[in-house]
Amino acid sequence: MERTVQLKNFLDDTGIIDLQMRLVAGSAGLDKEIRVAEINRPGLTLAGFYDFFAYDRIQIFGLGECAYLGQLEPEEKTNVLREFFSYDVLCCIFTTDKEPDQLFIEYADHKGVPVFVTKKNTTNFTSSLIYLLNEALAPSLSIHGTFVDVYGVGVLLIGSSGVGKSECALELIERGHRFIADDVVIIKRVDESILMGSGSPLLKHHMEIRGLGIINVRDIFGIRSVKDRKRVELVVNLEEWDANKLYDRLGLEEKVYRILDIDVSNIVVPVRPGRNIPIIVETAALNQRLKKLGIYTAQELDKNIKESLKKGDTGE
Amino acid sequence: MTEREVVVKSDAGVHARPAMMIVRAAMKYPCEVKLIKDNVEADCKSIMSVLGLAIISGTRLIVRADGEGESEVVDTIAAMIENNFKSNEESA
Repeated sequence: MERTVQLKNFLDDTGIIDLQMRLVAGSAGLDKEIRVAEINRPGLTLAGFYDFFAYDRIQIFGLGECAYLGQLEPEEKTNVLREFFSYDVLCCIFTTDKEPDQLFIEYADHKGVPVFVTKKNTTNFTSSLIYLLNEALAPSLSIHGTFVDVYGVGVLLIGSSGVGKSECALELIERGHRFIADDVVIIKRVDESILMGSGSPLLKHHMEIRGLGIINVRDIFGIRSVKDRKRVELVVNLEEWDANKLYDRLGLEEKVYRILDIDVSNIVVPVRPGRNIPIIVETAALNQRLKKLGIYTAQELDKNIKESLKKGDTGE
Repeated sequence: MTEREVVVKSDAGVHARPAMMIVRAAMKYPCEVKLIKDNVEADCKSIMSVLGLAIISGTRLIVRADGEGESEVVDTIAAMIENNFKSNEESA
C-alpha cells in the first residue's frame, strides 16, 4: 500500500495550490521518487550534525539556512556542501525567493539533486507542501460504484453491474444533488479517518446509461450538478431483492463498510421494480446527518418503548 | 480463476468501440471479468471502467475471470485484443 510519487509528477499536478516554484539546478534528478510526506530543515546538518539526517525528504532552506551558508568562508562552505551532497539528497527548496549561490548549484547539478526557489515564505510554503505531499502519497483504491453528494453527504452507491446505480444517480441529479463519479471511483485515504472520493480525470463528469450510451452530466444538467471530490461518508449497497434474505427492518445496528482500513457507515438497500431508490438514498443521507449529530432514531424509539413497557404504559 | 496476459497492438488503443466490444463479450457470461493494467483493475462489464484504464498501444494487460465460463470469456477477450479488435463482432 506504500505509495511513492515522482518529483516531476508531483510538481506537475499540485492542483489548486500554486507553490510558485522554479527549478534552478539538478534537472537530472526529477525522476526521483518521493517516499515520505515529510520535510526536513537541514540547519543542524549544515552545522555538522549528521545524525538522523533525513536526506530522503524534501530539504527546505529558509532564511536561517541561507544566512548560515552566507556567512561561511569559501573553503568552509565547500567542505559543508561536499559533506551535505555526499548523501543521496532528494531535493532542495529555497524559500522567500533566496537564490542558492553558484557553488551550491554546481554541486546540485553534479549530483542530480533538483533545486527549486519559491517566492513563498517558509511557513506558508511548508504547510502547503505537506498538505500536497499527504494528498499525493495517500493510499488509494479504485472502486466500482457511483459517487454522489446528497444533501452534503458523500454517498457511494455500490452493487453489481446493471442493478441501477447510474439510473439512481441520474434521478438524484435531477432532484438537485451533485454527481461526482460513475463506475470508476478513486478513493484516497487523506487522513487516518478521512476518505476522499473523486472520478478518474479521463472520465470526469461522464456516465453510462444503458440505452442512452455515454452522457456528460455537466453538459446536460449544468455546472451546479457536478462536483470534483467529496468525502465518502455513506456506502449504499444496492442489491437485487432476495425473498430469502432478512433485510434490516429496525436500523438498530450500525453496519460499516471497510475501505482502506477506515470504517464507513453502510446500508443495504434491496432493489425491486417500482421501488423508489433515490428517495431512499436521500433519506439515508439525511439520517446519516442526524447520526453525525448523535441522533439515532431507532435506538431512541427503542429506548422510549422499553421505558413505557417498564411503566406498564400501553400508549392509550 | 483463469487469467491471460496480452499486449495491445492496435494503434489507436482501446477507445470507445473496442471498449464496447470487450463489454459485450463479457456481458455474455455470468462470471466476473476484469482487465488489469499496472495493478489497476477494471470491470469488463462496465464501459466507463474499461475506458478509464486509458489503454494505449503497447500496454500489457491481464484478462482475468472468475466463475462460470471463465476460461471461455478469457479466451474470447484475449483473442479480441490480440486480433486488434478485427473480429466479426458487428454481428453481436
